[in-house]
Amino acid sequence: MKVVHYLNQFFGGVGGEEFADTPPNFLEGPVGPGKLLNQILPEGSQIVGTIVCGDNYAVENQQDIVSFVNAKVKEARADLFVAGPCFNAGRYGMSAGAVCEAVKSESDIPVVTAMSEENPGVDVYRGEVLIVDSGSSPANMRDVLVRIANLGAKLANDETVGPPSTEGYIPQGFLRTEFVEKTAAQRLAEMLMAKLKGESFEPEIPVTTFEPIPVPLMTTEIAKAKIALVTDGGLVPRSNPDNLPRAFSRVWGAYSIDERPKLLEEDFEVAHGGYDNAHVQQDPNRLVPVDVMREMERSGAIGSLHEEFLSTTGNSNPLENSRRIGREMAQRLKEAGVDAVILTST
Amino acid sequence: MRLTLAVHSISQTDFGPKTQLEGTRLQIDVEELRRCILQDRRLQSVDLEIARPGESCRAGYVFDIIEPRAKEPGSGVDFPGILGPVTPVGQGVTHVLRGAAVTVVDGGQPGGELGYESRRGGVSKILEMSGEAAKRSSYGDLQHLVMVPRAHPDIKRHAVLNALRVASCRAAVFLAQTALSQLPDSTLDFELEGPKSRNGNLPRVAYIGQIHGHQHGTESDEHILYGANTRGMMPTPLHPNEWMDGAVVTSYSWGGRGLETYFYQNHPIIGELYRLHQSGQANFVGAIATISSDQESEMKRNSMMAAQIAKWNLGADGVVLTKYAGGAPHTDMFETARQCEALGVKTVVLTSDTASDSRAESALLINTKEVNAIVSHSEGSDVRFQLPTVDRIIAGNSEVADIISGLSELTPDALCGIANNQGASRLQPIIY
Repeated sequence: MKVVHYLNQFFGGVGGEEFADTPPNFLEGPVGPGKLLNQILPEGSQIVGTIVCGDNYAVENQQDIVSFVNAKVKEARADLFVAGPCFNAGRYGMSAGAVCEAVKSESDIPVVTAMSEENPGVDVYRGEVLIVDSGSSPANMRDVLVRIANLGAKLANDETVGPPSTEGYIPQGFLRTEFVEKTAAQRLAEMLMAKLKGESFEPEIPVTTFEPIPVPLMTTEIAKAKIALVTDGGLVPRSNPDNLPRAFSRVWGAYSIDERPKLLEEDFEVAHGGYDNAHVQQDPNRLVPVDVMREMERSGAIGSLHEEFLSTTGNSNPLENSRRIGREMAQRLKEAGVDAVILTST
Repeated sequence: MRLTLAVHSISQTDFGPKTQLEGTRLQIDVEELRRCILQDRRLQSVDLEIARPGESCRAGYVFDIIEPRAKEPGSGVDFPGILGPVTPVGQGVTHVLRGAAVTVVDGGQPGGELGYESRRGGVSKILEMSGEAAKRSSYGDLQHLVMVPRAHPDIKRHAVLNALRVASCRAAVFLAQTALSQLPDSTLDFELEGPKSRNGNLPRVAYIGQIHGHQHGTESDEHILYGANTRGMMPTPLHPNEWMDGAVVTSYSWGGRGLETYFYQNHPIIGELYRLHQSGQANFVGAIATISSDQESEMKRNSMMAAQIAKWNLGADGVVLTKYAGGAPHTDMFETARQCEALGVKTVVLTSDTASDSRAESALLINTKEVNAIVSHSEGSDVRFQLPTVDRIIAGNSEVADIISGLSELTPDALCGIANNQGASRLQPIIY
């Protein structure tokens, strides 16, 4: 197994912070912690080359460092790419994550790095890159390198990688369903008793907290504003031209309201399998309130109603997909000069 | 309230000249059972078959699975509000044919995508008796009386579903009445003193369970709680014994997520809380039945009231919460749990994952940091069962027969007894 290793200027022996602008350099064989890693790697494996690059240079010239690393990995015909360990060095972690992700997608070989959980590189790259939990102290170097070597060998040999707690890497956030000995009821009773006794327990799905999204300040008077209607309730014109599915939608649609005083039942249908949409089938205005908005337009309460409404199916959507749909919708509304949006959810 | 289950083990079920229980052998006079089912004049025929563990047999689409049970005369009514007047259950003696099941297949449900569209009456759910799926299913080792009642063609869909429900309960009682005069193999007692009991200083635990989700509609003649359809229902204290003894049956909207009357009768969570009670680890003070709503205001009101009852009527220190399948009930459950936590009642919730990307961040749906004790039965959309070709198909109609005989692979949500919202599931998402 041929391994290419990536290090920053400090671990690569170039120097401290004053050398953080050093451009990348390729050296034959192992360097710095790579020498220890080389001894730990399984028989027949070796570090064939090491890329050393300054932290500032890597962060500020990400395209350059990514191309440099990709080229060297290909030239070396590497079977495994290792970066770090970076511990809690933020710029090092960010660049190690970036080069690992690039090598994985460009050369399709396994990649491993190591960081402390607090390293900003973890949040950005944990989903794509296996990151060994290094803790923050380089005193753990040997342990960390052992785990890197084990994981790297498993990946390179196409062996099954165990769960994070056994293998020592930071959870990537993927769920794999397994059959377990205890029923859900038994697990519930145990967790309840632990919680009541003040003992520690692990939720089976991590409790996620999302950053609150600040509500933007309205800069236009509402009486002059152009308002758009957006829904995740799956309202579509009859025949569903964009083929919105009843769940797991990857698509959204923009549908003309024209000069309609209201939405007519015969023109619309609902593509959504997650709520009782009989009321919406009877009167689509109860989901996308065109009738009321027209009244407000006439009375001057709002400036105008935007000429189309946007619709998708908000049912069991992966978050990343929802974020993309949200970004695309916001972009379209922004370009159309919409000042405010009424979101109706189901 | 004290309920005694008189358990009669069943090892073999056959059709024969007389309906009777001989030791562990259940014999069914098929014509007598047919007459019992067809006393409902909405039904014009009923197919009756037996499916045994390991047999090369597949049945679908399944409407419900019930354990054969019958109340000892004087102990109360079987399935009150469905088969008899509304009088309380959960007391006295109930005879149980353990190891047997009545599995009802919907003769009226269309196949394919239409089968999914017509959510009223379950989705494309399969009972598999052989292979890996049967091994993993809670129902794989039972002797099933599989029944396909067929309604007259002019009967409206809601009335067909009602007739299926009545037929399911009738068959369950019909079979178990064979045990009435017989000595059981064992008896199990379920007795709680209720919320007044102090029971030392043991932590007081309770169960809050959704028994229906209104987001796919509810029929006016749908039987769920003592025969009520639960429209406009507010959270109701329901004794755990009532829950297990025929007060509750599954609704028509059980989704693909495993909710069968069988696991109300053998409620895994109520069973676990009883175990904590009987072993002196906790004081099981009661249960609350609730629904998930299709209205925001109703959701808020019900969540608040369930939490209030748990805190001030049951005096609970901790509760287990479950949902009625799907995403909308998920929201109601988390809001109820949040309100419990705000009152100082500790919570544990049973969730499932409906997202399609197997990412932990998508699985939770809800961002409520107080509700931090989470068990998940996953639904297992990443698990695949290879299905064998089978010798015998029991299907609701020829269209469904074509579909299910050609199946070669299924996920747990399409199979009975693997994913389950009542706590029976052994699936768990492991974070990688």
